[in-house]
Amino acid sequence: MAKYVLKRIGYLVVVFFIVSFLMYSLYNLIPSDPARAQLEEQKKSLKPEVYEQMYQDLRREMGLDDPLLLRYARWIGVAPDVNGEFNGLFEGNLGYSIFFKKNVIECIAEPIQTTIFINIFATILALGITIPLGIFCAVHKGSKFDNGVQVFTIIGYSIPVYIIALVFIFLFAVVWRIFPVSGMKTPGSNYTGLRAVVDQLYYFALPLIVMTFGSLGGMTRYVRASMIDALSMDHIRTARAKGVREKVVIYSHAWRNALLPVITLIISWFLGIFSGSVIIENTFNINGMGSLYIKALNNHDYELALAMQMFYTVVSLIGALITDLSYGLVDPRVRIDK
Amino acid sequence: MANKKEKHSFLSRLFGNRNKIMDSMIEEQVQSPGRMMLSNFLHNKLGMTGLIVFLCIFLFVLIGPYFFPLDLGYSDNTQSNVPPTNNMMTLPDGLKNNVKAIAPGTTFGVGCDNDGNVYIWGYTKITDVIDLANIPDEVKEAHIVDVAAGYDHVTALDDEGNLYVWGNTRLGQDMVPSELKPSRLSGPKNIVQIEAGYQFSGALDDQGNVYFWGNGNMADLDVKKDYQGHVKKFAISTYNYCLLLDDGSVVYGGLQASNAFTNIPANLSSGVVDIAASGDTMAAVSEDGTITVWGNSTHGETNVPQTESKPVDIYGGRYHYTALMENGDVISWGDNTHGQASVPDSVNNGEISTVFAGFYQNYAVTTDGDVKTWGLKGHALGTDDLGRDILTRIVNGGKTTMTVGAISVIIAIFIGVLLGGIAGYFGGKADMLIMRIAEIVGGLPFLPFALLLSAIIGTRVSVEMRMYLIMVVLGVLSWTGICRLIRAQILAEREKEFVVAAKAMGVREITIVFKHILPNVLSILLVEATLNFATCMLTESSLSYLGFGIAPPTPTWGNMLTGANNSVVIQQYWWRWVFPASIFGICTICINLMGDAIRDAVDPKSSER
Repeated sequence: MAKYVLKRIGYLVVVFFIVSFLMYSLYNLIPSDPARAQLEEQKKSLKPEVYEQMYQDLRREMGLDDPLLLRYARWIGVAPDVNGEFNGLFEGNLGYSIFFKKNVIECIAEPIQTTIFINIFATILALGITIPLGIFCAVHKGSKFDNGVQVFTIIGYSIPVYIIALVFIFLFAVVWRIFPVSGMKTPGSNYTGLRAVVDQLYYFALPLIVMTFGSLGGMTRYVRASMIDALSMDHIRTARAKGVREKVVIYSHAWRNALLPVITLIISWFLGIFSGSVIIENTFNINGMGSLYIKALNNHDYELALAMQMFYTVVSLIGALITDLSYGLVDPRVRIDK
Repeated sequence: MANKKEKHSFLSRLFGNRNKIMDSMIEEQVQSPGRMMLSNFLHNKLGMTGLIVFLCIFLFVLIGPYFFPLDLGYSDNTQSNVPPTNNMMTLPDGLKNNVKAIAPGTTFGVGCDNDGNVYIWGYTKITDVIDLANIPDEVKEAHIVDVAAGYDHVTALDDEGNLYVWGNTRLGQDMVPSELKPSRLSGPKNIVQIEAGYQFSGALDDQGNVYFWGNGNMADLDVKKDYQGHVKKFAISTYNYCLLLDDGSVVYGGLQASNAFTNIPANLSSGVVDIAASGDTMAAVSEDGTITVWGNSTHGETNVPQTESKPVDIYGGRYHYTALMENGDVISWGDNTHGQASVPDSVNNGEISTVFAGFYQNYAVTTDGDVKTWGLKGHALGTDDLGRDILTRIVNGGKTTMTVGAISVIIAIFIGVLLGGIAGYFGGKADMLIMRIAEIVGGLPFLPFALLLSAIIGTRVSVEMRMYLIMVVLGVLSWTGICRLIRAQILAEREKEFVVAAKAMGVREITIVFKHILPNVLSILLVEATLNFATCMLTESSLSYLGFGIAPPTPTWGNMLTGANNSVVIQQYWWRWVFPASIFGICTICINLMGDAIRDAVDPKSSER
């Protein structure tokens, strides 16, 4: 197992460097000149020659004339910058946001908490509903309930999440007025302690419901399909023939086998929901990573966008790692194969 | 059995009665796998419903643009946020055969009958609280003889010379000048003409004096003193007015030194019989029947058609003119977006006594009192905030959305099949490399990455290039699924006997992969392509919804929903999101239903599940 884990981690590290290099070069395609931007204010008060001299000095100081690979290595933090210090991603320097006028790490401190909170919450909610529902439908395959759920789930995964959001806002916030339309807390309120938590949950309720609802369709279908596959295996018949109780057959014999594809799905879906929350956060005006990312892109704040892009990449890589590891945990055969 | 073979036409094979009961042996022999799949698919009710509905939507967006051509630069502030209506030209029963005056407004019409009653029809809501349909009680009691409709207010005149204004009166639209009010000294004023423009109104008394009141910030409301007492008629454009004086000349009455109207053509210094104004132009008819148009002509208002008969009266809409001829015929010219310049034949068959034209509507009253109408009836699915017709945008947006989806899928299939085929058949290092690339691309967070690509490259290219860019981005990011599937299928197929046989025959390897093995995985590819099509459409619309996909004004089903996420739009302008959202939802549901049905048809095992 240890060898397997190490191998996977090694592979992912390589992928991380490839992807991050790709991203970095992509962002370098943008025609921007931080040195010129920094000198812009002084341009008028300086003589052209002096200005040019300062500009060139600054470029050298910033290391803008160095080859792409070296700049990348500096940015990621494995090569010393012009001053001979290691000051990159690995050292915790994510860059400087020109839009918010502060360090990127300060910009994302709060949004990242919000995003992780709503995503994990939505995941737990969705899993709590889809797994029992999927198993029930698989066991009662072909029943009226199952057919109804099938149609419902097709609708669920066909409709884009922002349309679901619009419909839910219309129903819950406009017609019935149960939840607020958007935002993160009651405007002007200054609640503390439990009151603040309750207030925030009240504002997060609708986005969470929409996120959960949006992922019900695909998840339920997947759980159902893999459960049906597992139930049609020979060992299930054997178990039943031996007189094992139906509950044990379903939850122990079949479900363990259905778990493997389900885990793949859960992880990939968890990642999907992270990018999907870009839409939710924008629709509901939640100050999370998604809306910050859009803000950064819209305002050409590319250092911030690059850092956030790296966040999404790292999340997806960690997701891939967890998938691999849980394969190993759930299915002993994987460990031997590799 | 072979001698009992019946001949079938292609149609009967596809749709013919196949209720003949066959035992399983015969069935196995008769049906080829392809036919089996087809019959499986045809018997799947959900799948067939999906197919039929999808085909309907597909034809709708394919043919629709020819009937609802899209003008990308079009916007119209008088038609913004109008709900689905078709009664903008529907006269109330009380007004039929009893018309005294009609004034067409932006999205409504107002009229009065010979008994002095006022009627209002069409979409009359100006804001949440202001509704033109709430006719004031004093107006209901008065005997109204003339009405005028502005952008958001209505002016009415009763038989005692009183003026009434209702609707939006926040900018002084109801500040009727004291000179126009009946006074004890001079008795009631005899007002002969009233008109209304953008937040202002004007009235002419029988002494030849003209008065204007309302919002003077935009409009030129002052009158030069020299003209007072000589005015025969006046015409109001959006912000300005012109006067026809009693000596037959046309003058610009306001105090503005120069604008589009002050430069009046020289031939209008005498002999003018009638004047009218559209939104940005003025027109005058001379005694000899020539029509002269001046001002800012943007919609072909100056293209006066040649006619045999002499025009005697002229009426102006927002971007069109209608003229009544000496022989009772009617002609219209100018903007024809809403059909306001296409006079129906029935109008010219009857004897027309007068015409009321305004904004986008024309009402022609025949000598026996009947009213013929042509122009804008309403918007079937409403309009958006820029006054663009939702139906037109849905039709044309659907075309864009589907094109983008289809081309991205084709790109994805091309890359996926090529790489998947190579990886699956050749294995070894090629397989290793390709699958690692697929893993990396598949591992990229899709939506953020697409957003990034669109933001970085998309801002520097033209709108059209950006559309192609989105297609390529979607295609390049979504081939991994197909690649993996094809590889797995080919891995299974390449061990089969026919491949060994082909190899033994000396067939080239590349031919084996793409000619011998690929047809076997075609059905699965079809399933994947169908489902991918829906996914690509969804992704494109999500990108457009966030503002990083196809940029407005090019419509797509996604960017029509941009900005719909605030409570005002959701609640009050529901038609702006309900229609695009539902047709898009139905479309993707149908594609997915179809994909599922094809999968069930292709994979016989699945029906046992």
